[in-house]
Amino acid sequence: MIEPEENMLSITQLSKYYGKNHVLKDVNLSLNKGEVLCIIGPSGSGKSTFLRCINLLEQPTSGAISYRGKNILDKSLNVSSYRQHVGMVFQGYYLFPFKNVINNITMAPMTLLKENREDAEKEASQLLEKVGMAEKKLVYPASLSGGQKQRVAIARALAMHPDLLLFDEPTSALDPELVGEVLKVMKKLADEGMTMIVVTHEMGFAKEVANRVIFMEGGYIVEEGSPKDIFQHPQNDRTKEFLARFIN
Amino acid sequence: MDLKWKDAFVTLGPSLLQGVVVVLQATFFGFILATIIGLLVAICRLSKHKPLRAIFVVLVEIIRGTPLLVQLFYIYYVIPILLDGLLKALGSGSANIQFSALSAGIAGLAINYGAYISEVFRSAILTIDTGQKESGLALGFTEQQVLRKIIIPQALRNSIPVLGNYLVMMIKDTSLLAVISVSELLLRTQTYASQTFETVESYTMLAVVYLILSLPLSHLMKMIENKFHIVR
Ligand SMILES: Nc1ncnc2c1ncn2[C@@H]1O[C@H](COP(=O)(O)OP(=O)(O)OP(=O)(O)O)[C@@H](O)[C@H]1O
Ligand SMILES: [Mg+2]
Repeated sequence: MIEPEENMLSITQLSKYYGKNHVLKDVNLSLNKGEVLCIIGPSGSGKSTFLRCINLLEQPTSGAISYRGKNILDKSLNVSSYRQHVGMVFQGYYLFPFKNVINNITMAPMTLLKENREDAEKEASQLLEKVGMAEKKLVYPASLSGGQKQRVAIARALAMHPDLLLFDEPTSALDPELVGEVLKVMKKLADEGMTMIVVTHEMGFAKEVANRVIFMEGGYIVEEGSPKDIFQHPQNDRTKEFLARFIN
Repeated sequence: MDLKWKDAFVTLGPSLLQGVVVVLQATFFGFILATIIGLLVAICRLSKHKPLRAIFVVLVEIIRGTPLLVQLFYIYYVIPILLDGLLKALGSGSANIQFSALSAGIAGLAINYGAYISEVFRSAILTIDTGQKESGLALGFTEQQVLRKIIIPQALRNSIPVLGNYLVMMIKDTSLLAVISVSELLLRTQTYASQTFETVESYTMLAVVYLILSLPLSHLMKMIENKFHIVR
């Protein structure tokens, strides 16, 4: 049985200026529930800005974003309660250094979803199990490796039960030998049906896990298609040029 | 030279012990209030509300631009007169307001140190990585919650070494309260020395008492600092 496709995110004519610098130009995107979208592109092409517009860490200059049919650029929107539905994982992890691993994870659900400590900790333990960090529950972030920090950061985002997860180069700050453990967790999430938008330079991951790949450059979406379209039959010269750098 | 150490010890000693209690009181309340004032002022100075920021910039500059000694005189002698005049002008008659010397002293220490500590907190808050704020916002915390639950706890921890220095400084600065007749250590020593002419003995004892008060505290602060370094 095929489930009807449920629209999660619909973005039209999104534009963003930083002062006079036009960093996003007429970006359009529609994303369905369960989709995994990978965004690739050179440095400065606007990938992060695009992602940050989606959870309103940046305010778009013009255009429309609707989340499950609701206009999130509406002035009356409660931004923080919208963000509770859209998790984000950053390149720099940003765990809270004064809280141990389990408290990093339980903080948001206890404060924002009013979960009691027992339930929140039980769920945090399950999440830590899922990201392979069960033994590190009581440890402080300072003593974790980058890969471990990022896996905890993913668990922290999951604890809010987001419908959509944004990843901004989650493995770019990691030593090469630690990249795999984080990608494995992300693949697991994708397999479980999590809707994800992933900005990444990990072409292998994009090929294997994405349903759709977007190539951005100069603030535009230059090319969009299935991983096969983009990686095997890129149409645009800019895409070809960019991908050539990753073939080795 | 004929030094009467025993005399001084027997007579001035107990008096200094009472002085120590006063010093500890002044420092304890002065420092807690200064920390609270410092935090509130730091938050106001980082607020989005421009007039509020401006007010506190001016206030902090006034405090930092005048000596604590002058502030103590002002609080103890001038403010009561001003308040009195204000009440008279409002038609409620003379109230003859007078703070105790100790509470005026505590207020002076709290306000003076509060101004400096607000700068410590302000820069500690500003140096927290913006990623901390953004990851908090991304989880769904409001700006207020991010400040209260994520930024301030880190800024406070990072400020502990500097606060420790201020605490030790405040202990020593309580000697200034002598000028508004708080019978702390200096005033007791002065009184004793002028009556007995045991100048060397008295002031040496005074110095020793200050050392005994501040040295262990300095060490304690170092230990706390090291502990937080490990957690961070
Ligand atoms: N806060 C900001 N203020 C001003 N300009 C900004 C800001 N953030 C990004 N920019 C500019 O916007 C453009 C797009 O930046 P963005 O970070 O979105 O690129 P990116 O594709 O994520 O690059 P990278 O791969 O290096 O992360 C760049 O020219 C950048 O200098
Ligand atoms: Mg980026």
